[in-house]
Amino acid sequence: MKFKDYYETFGLPRSATQEEIKRAYRKLARKYHPDVSKDPDAEVRFKELGEAYAVLKDPEKRAAYDQMGSQWQAGQDFQPPPGWDAGFEFGGSGFGDGADHSDFFEALFGRQARAAQRPGRHARGEDRHAKVLIDLEDAYRGAQRSLSLRMPELDALGRVVMKERRLDVGIPKGIRAGQHLRLAGQGAPGLGEGPAGDLYLEIAFNPHPQFRVDGRDVFLDLPLAPWEAALGCSLTVPTPEGSVQLTVPAGSAAGRQLRLKGKGIPGDPPGDLYVVPAIVLPPAASAGEQEAYRALAKAFEFDARAHMKGVSP
Amino acid sequence: MSKKHTEPACGPVVEEEIHLTLVELCQACRVSEEYVMSWVSEGVLEPIGEAPTEWRFAGQSLRRARLALSLTRDLELNPPGVALALDLLDEIAALQARLQRLGSAWPTK
Repeated sequence: MKFKDYYETFGLPRSATQEEIKRAYRKLARKYHPDVSKDPDAEVRFKELGEAYAVLKDPEKRAAYDQMGSQWQAGQDFQPPPGWDAGFEFGGSGFGDGADHSDFFEALFGRQARAAQRPGRHARGEDRHAKVLIDLEDAYRGAQRSLSLRMPELDALGRVVMKERRLDVGIPKGIRAGQHLRLAGQGAPGLGEGPAGDLYLEIAFNPHPQFRVDGRDVFLDLPLAPWEAALGCSLTVPTPEGSVQLTVPAGSAAGRQLRLKGKGIPGDPPGDLYVVPAIVLPPAASAGEQEAYRALAKAFEFDARAHMKGVSP
Repeated sequence: MSKKHTEPACGPVVEEEIHLTLVELCQACRVSEEYVMSWVSEGVLEPIGEAPTEWRFAGQSLRRARLALSLTRDLELNPPGVALALDLLDEIAALQARLQRLGSAWPTK
């Protein structure tokens, strides 16, 4: 287990006041909140912030943490000294939400049950949430996924433990990124004779090397040689459900989208597939190629900057 | 437990097939009714129906309510702050969708 320097997480000295800690947390939490931040490390950073703040905002936990002394360095191998927490009581607000803190945090502060299990009490189990990554092709065909879910559960002593559970899930055809599946009775078990909660699965797509997705519409960039775009051509293009024959009309400009109606994600109505031409200029490397470009220049009365004339010198 | 071949778990697509009651939405987000009511009064969530007991939330409310909860809890935002943040996030999402449609010349990530 590695020692964690919770002060370093906030970039604060150990002498920081509670007010300074709160201010640093708020500022960094806004920056790294996974729902707001586009930083790829946002989720990891935000979790570290939450854990550090859970310790430093609580005067008792902070005092206990501080008592271990400042000789520890972040990342150093660490075992809590025996009896390190003597005289401290970590009661009150649980950490809740099955927050998945580090081994370091758990070794020091343990896990606390959200609700003590009282015999004879019946209650519906809590609803749970998880995220599932699927391929775009799965949304076209429907799929079956085997998920491994880590879920907090209460053990016999009423402590929260993380349990691994496998679950086979049917992904319906036509599902889109950001949508949720509700699986009745697959959430947390109920207390006593209470029914189990539900499991909500949020769907997200793995990034695709060829296709972009917006809602139910799918986009494909199609590189074209200048003469293919100018004269038109017939091509085989990929779609998530196999190749189709596409007629590129003469005079296709870069960025002008060709719509394949109903070839997006299936549904009622189905989405469309948009082919976005991108014109690729061949390099003029050899003498023959340069000659061909010169012949083009001669053949065309073409001024690429005609629209700039008279605007400025 | 006996090991037998089980059918995969299936369920409805929340956004397309479900309207949630106030109780269901609170259970799904593990949040109190007071929070959901404060978000309704700020226009973050727009249920159909008059009295809270008659409210029906469209499936899209699930994602919004979860977002509202995490902003409330993690950033200690009040309901008007949550409403503003969600409006801005919606706007960013719409702009990003436009970038997606424009193509690879405009990378989004």
